[in-house]
Amino acid sequence: MLPSIHRGIWRAADHILRTSRGTPPCRFLSTFNGVPVGIADAETIFALSSGHGRCGVAVVRASGPASATALRCMTGLTRKLPPPRTALLRSITDPQSKEVLDRGLVFWFPAPHSFTGEDSVEFHIHGGPAVITAVLQALGSVPGMRPAEAGEFTRRAFQAGKLGLTEVEGLRDLIHAETEAQRRQALRQMSGELGRLYQDWTHKLKRCLAHVEAFIDFSEDELIEDGVLNQVDRSVCDLQAEMERHLKDERRGERLRSGVQVVIAGATNAGKSSLLNTLCQRPAAIVSPIAGTTRDVVETALDIGGFPVLLSDTAGLRESPDLVEREGVRRARERVEQADLTLVVVDCTDLPSEAQQAAAFLQDHLGRVLPNKEQPETVFPADRLLLVLNKTDMLPEERRLKLDRELRLVSGLPPVCLISCHTNEGLQDFLTVLHSSVKTLCGDPLSSAPTLTQARHRAHLQQCFAALAQYQRYRDIDLALAAEGVRLALTSLGRITGRVGAEEILDIIFKDFCIGK
Amino acid sequence: MLTKKLQPLQNFLSLISRRGSHLARQQYDVIVVGGGHAGTEAAAAATRVGAETLLVSQKIQTIGALSCNPSLGGVGKGQLVKEVDALDGLCGRAGDWAGIHFSILNRRKGPAVWGPRAQLDRQRYREFIQSELLSTPRLTVLEGSVEELLVSEPNPEEPGHHRVTGIRLANGSHLISASSVVLTTGTFLSGSLFLGQSMSPGGRIGDAPSSAGLSQTLRERLGLRIGRLRTGTPPRIVKDSVDLSLAHVHPPDSHPTPFSFLNTHTRCKPEEQLPCYLTYTTPGVERVVRESLHLNCHIQQDTKGPRYCPSIESRVLRFPGRQHQVWLEPEGVTSDLLYPQGLSMTMPPDVQLRLIREIPAMHRAEIHTPGYGVQYDFVCPTQLSPALQVKSTQGLFLAGQINGTTGYEEAAAQGLWAGANAARWALSMPPVALSRTESYIGVLIDDLVSRGVTEPYRMFTSRAEFRTSLRPDNADLRLTLKGFEEVGCVSTLRYQEAVRVRDSLQDALAALQALSLSTHNWRKKLPDMCMSEAKSTLLTGMDVLQYNDVSFEMLASAFPECLLPHMEFSQRLKIEAVYRPHCNLQKKEIERIQKEENMSLPQDIDYFSLPVSLSQEVREILDRVRPSTLGAATRLQGITPAAIVHLLNYVRHTGQKERRTHRNQPHQKKAREEELCGRNAALPQ
Repeated sequence: MLPSIHRGIWRAADHILRTSRGTPPCRFLSTFNGVPVGIADAETIFALSSGHGRCGVAVVRASGPASATALRCMTGLTRKLPPPRTALLRSITDPQSKEVLDRGLVFWFPAPHSFTGEDSVEFHIHGGPAVITAVLQALGSVPGMRPAEAGEFTRRAFQAGKLGLTEVEGLRDLIHAETEAQRRQALRQMSGELGRLYQDWTHKLKRCLAHVEAFIDFSEDELIEDGVLNQVDRSVCDLQAEMERHLKDERRGERLRSGVQVVIAGATNAGKSSLLNTLCQRPAAIVSPIAGTTRDVVETALDIGGFPVLLSDTAGLRESPDLVEREGVRRARERVEQADLTLVVVDCTDLPSEAQQAAAFLQDHLGRVLPNKEQPETVFPADRLLLVLNKTDMLPEERRLKLDRELRLVSGLPPVCLISCHTNEGLQDFLTVLHSSVKTLCGDPLSSAPTLTQARHRAHLQQCFAALAQYQRYRDIDLALAAEGVRLALTSLGRITGRVGAEEILDIIFKDFCIGK
Repeated sequence: MLTKKLQPLQNFLSLISRRGSHLARQQYDVIVVGGGHAGTEAAAAATRVGAETLLVSQKIQTIGALSCNPSLGGVGKGQLVKEVDALDGLCGRAGDWAGIHFSILNRRKGPAVWGPRAQLDRQRYREFIQSELLSTPRLTVLEGSVEELLVSEPNPEEPGHHRVTGIRLANGSHLISASSVVLTTGTFLSGSLFLGQSMSPGGRIGDAPSSAGLSQTLRERLGLRIGRLRTGTPPRIVKDSVDLSLAHVHPPDSHPTPFSFLNTHTRCKPEEQLPCYLTYTTPGVERVVRESLHLNCHIQQDTKGPRYCPSIESRVLRFPGRQHQVWLEPEGVTSDLLYPQGLSMTMPPDVQLRLIREIPAMHRAEIHTPGYGVQYDFVCPTQLSPALQVKSTQGLFLAGQINGTTGYEEAAAQGLWAGANAARWALSMPPVALSRTESYIGVLIDDLVSRGVTEPYRMFTSRAEFRTSLRPDNADLRLTLKGFEEVGCVSTLRYQEAVRVRDSLQDALAALQALSLSTHNWRKKLPDMCMSEAKSTLLTGMDVLQYNDVSFEMLASAFPECLLPHMEFSQRLKIEAVYRPHCNLQKKEIERIQKEENMSLPQDIDYFSLPVSLSQEVREILDRVRPSTLGAATRLQGITPAAIVHLLNYVRHTGQKERRTHRNQPHQKKAREEELCGRNAALPQ
């Protein structure tokens, strides 16, 4: 009884995320644990469980009833499964092409003695991105397998009673983190070309559904011609063709940016571009003493201590009458929203001399630079924020030391680094702090895993595509079942772009048709 | 097959009034205020559950009156009628009695969205409802106007700031006490009528306005949030003055399908049915509307009207330059009036006449009664529990337009549910809720109490997520059994019939499932069927019945010995075969929602002091809305998953406590069932 209640609650959590309409950032949360209706619990999920970035060994984990099948068909163990919880060295092959992908250790954890309480499998493979991607794709081709949503393993563990109720407090933070990570990831994905494409499809599907629903609910009394359905037929056909092309396209549209997203933000002339140039050891960005020099986002790929980092310099945040600069500021804010780690650069000569006042100044400054979060407790997530006090060369030595000492004692502030981009003073300390932050983020599989997101999108698109076929199959037989197909298609796509509620469909109906009865 | 004999009715009005004139008692279990669709269903349901009930109506003569359109059912609404009938309500049987034009809408679109609908004879409908109420034991009908709702200090063991104790009637200080009160005041709560530039208090033309006292009690004494909505009705046209040859005839179905699961036929014979007529607006109609806008104060108000069922004014203003449909519907077999569906209007009467004469078929038409608009108060329904009880007031239930809905069927559905729960409250039985996964009534109530309304709420099939499971054909299986076993609002007779239907269907499905043949053999048995030979697996009778060109009759003639006995349900079996695979797919999702809905959140939680970690924002949302279940909480905007984890934790702890205290429940239920059986057996059938 209890595990089933738990299952409900996780879905409840998902449901909220899917139903939180209205506030745009929330809308993207809908990608959180999208499990297709109906076949929910029988599904086997898989994911890269180790972090991304440079690593020797990567761990790919699968959990659910199809785990054993996956293990068999990818390791050629046709007769019997390996002994439970014992390492076994095997060649790992693609179940379709039989091509050898890697040679690694496999583990078999039969239920209930596994992390999730379900049948589970682990593949310990070589850590290169090509190998990881190949193994993930091979797993995705096994029937009944789909990529896991963020934190889904933990959820299943909770459902299976593997985590006690005393850990609820901890879980709460976990869910927060997952939600946050998902939100940032979704924002990133959705701001690109691909996002626009999916949004466009969603829009078209919404209209299709609205028109089918209008035809069902009103056509007997109202002036809704049969032509409405012919239009829907055409749209569905076009959408199917587009999706098919998209799914077949090996380039998969836009290349997803990988790496930890680090964004430099702050007021104008604080030295943000200088910091970027210092970090990448080349003049990637133009620096000048004129406030507002940087107007667009300048991006550079970096390697920090072996971890991939995408560093972005942004326009200084200020009110400006200049249209171009205003757009730059908007983009800067957008970037900060999506960032894994934000470096807030402050000109330390602007600081009040009194330490307590300086702390208050910084608090206030952070409040202005960072986007307003809904949760008060996440306003200053310490591990996602570094305060960089630049231009220390402009301060007298004595004041600099005092500032450094006193700010360390102030609570409620993120880690503070004093540097000078001009003299490189304090740079080494800063790099150490940055490195450890990036390392933490990289070890966290939630922070950014484009291949996984991509695989998940694919799974939802395929479901959407299949649902549209249901529309066509039932179009002339049973319109209620045909409409069900469009509903399902929209739900599947909604797991990428945000849930669409019944009210939204009714809005379109009443906009497009005059319903008089 | 059980058939309820449709007996000829007499005019029972005088009998009822007499009954009301000397009130037998000063105390009732349940008092229902209002005699419309919600009120009559509420009163009848309350008595079925076993409560001594009083129905108070301003005019006994108008009990069961169809204030607006002379029709019942439709797409979405027909589903509600079927469900009300499955719960032993009145409107389905009343429709079968009063119907003069039956049709199943959406006949070509799939049985899940079929919309049973009927044009009604107003007089017959009223007669049926009145005679049903008269023959209902434990029900008293009283003519009177309610001046005030009596409330007192609450029972400390139940949530709520007040407790209803009864009502005070307008004539003097006549007090009647009751444990629960159901308000079904329709458009009468601070209602205003609009016609041209004049405005007068009232809820329906020809009836006295209700007293201001009730509205005041709700607003000031109980502190309820009240909103305002508007609606309207078209002018009634003299039939003889209309040139029907200029309109398209719209015939009824040749075989009328009754609404009620208890009826095999309707009172009206197929050949006695009357047609409807379809005609269209002209550019002249639009011109008259535009020219008379300055004379039309209803349309200038910004009170929220529906986007559907709008007045002709808003139709031509929102969609100019189009032809709009106008249906001319009969009002009854002996009535000499027509109801012009789609021509609801509020302009001055002389302009109304000009307007309708712009339509060719009505170029010489006469108006019997002008159309008019109504504005009325409604109570924001988020203040209600899923039992339709006001959360802050013990024993106060609301149903119908007072909750912001529109339509007879929506009102009847709420009335039945509020009445049943009011009786349960009065008899100290726990409240019951219907899930949105099992019924349109559940969808309706959940939408109302967890989302509220911004315009008059009407049912559409698109509002139901599980539309393919919630079909008109299976409403009895979904609700009658539950209605008897868990709610107590269904008679033994109907229950036994539903059990028989369920068992027969199960037998028939088993027989179909047991037929298992190869494709080759199926083709031999059913040569007319298109089936590809490619399928190698065995197919069961259920699989084959899914095929579009296979009917149960075909199978029965191919396998007479095992299938012929089930011919009674041939249509239901065909529908079941087509939908079953899809319904099975939906089952998991349905179970998930039901589980969440089963986790109730106590109504008296102090969210601000709840000793768990919740952000202030979340606490404020929870405190404002007070969701009654975890399921409802998940549908709130702004609730984080972390908050849900905490609520879960809370529910589990309190749930354990509650289980301990509720352990003696089954005992009470059994005693109650015995009592019910005894009572129903004594009823004349």
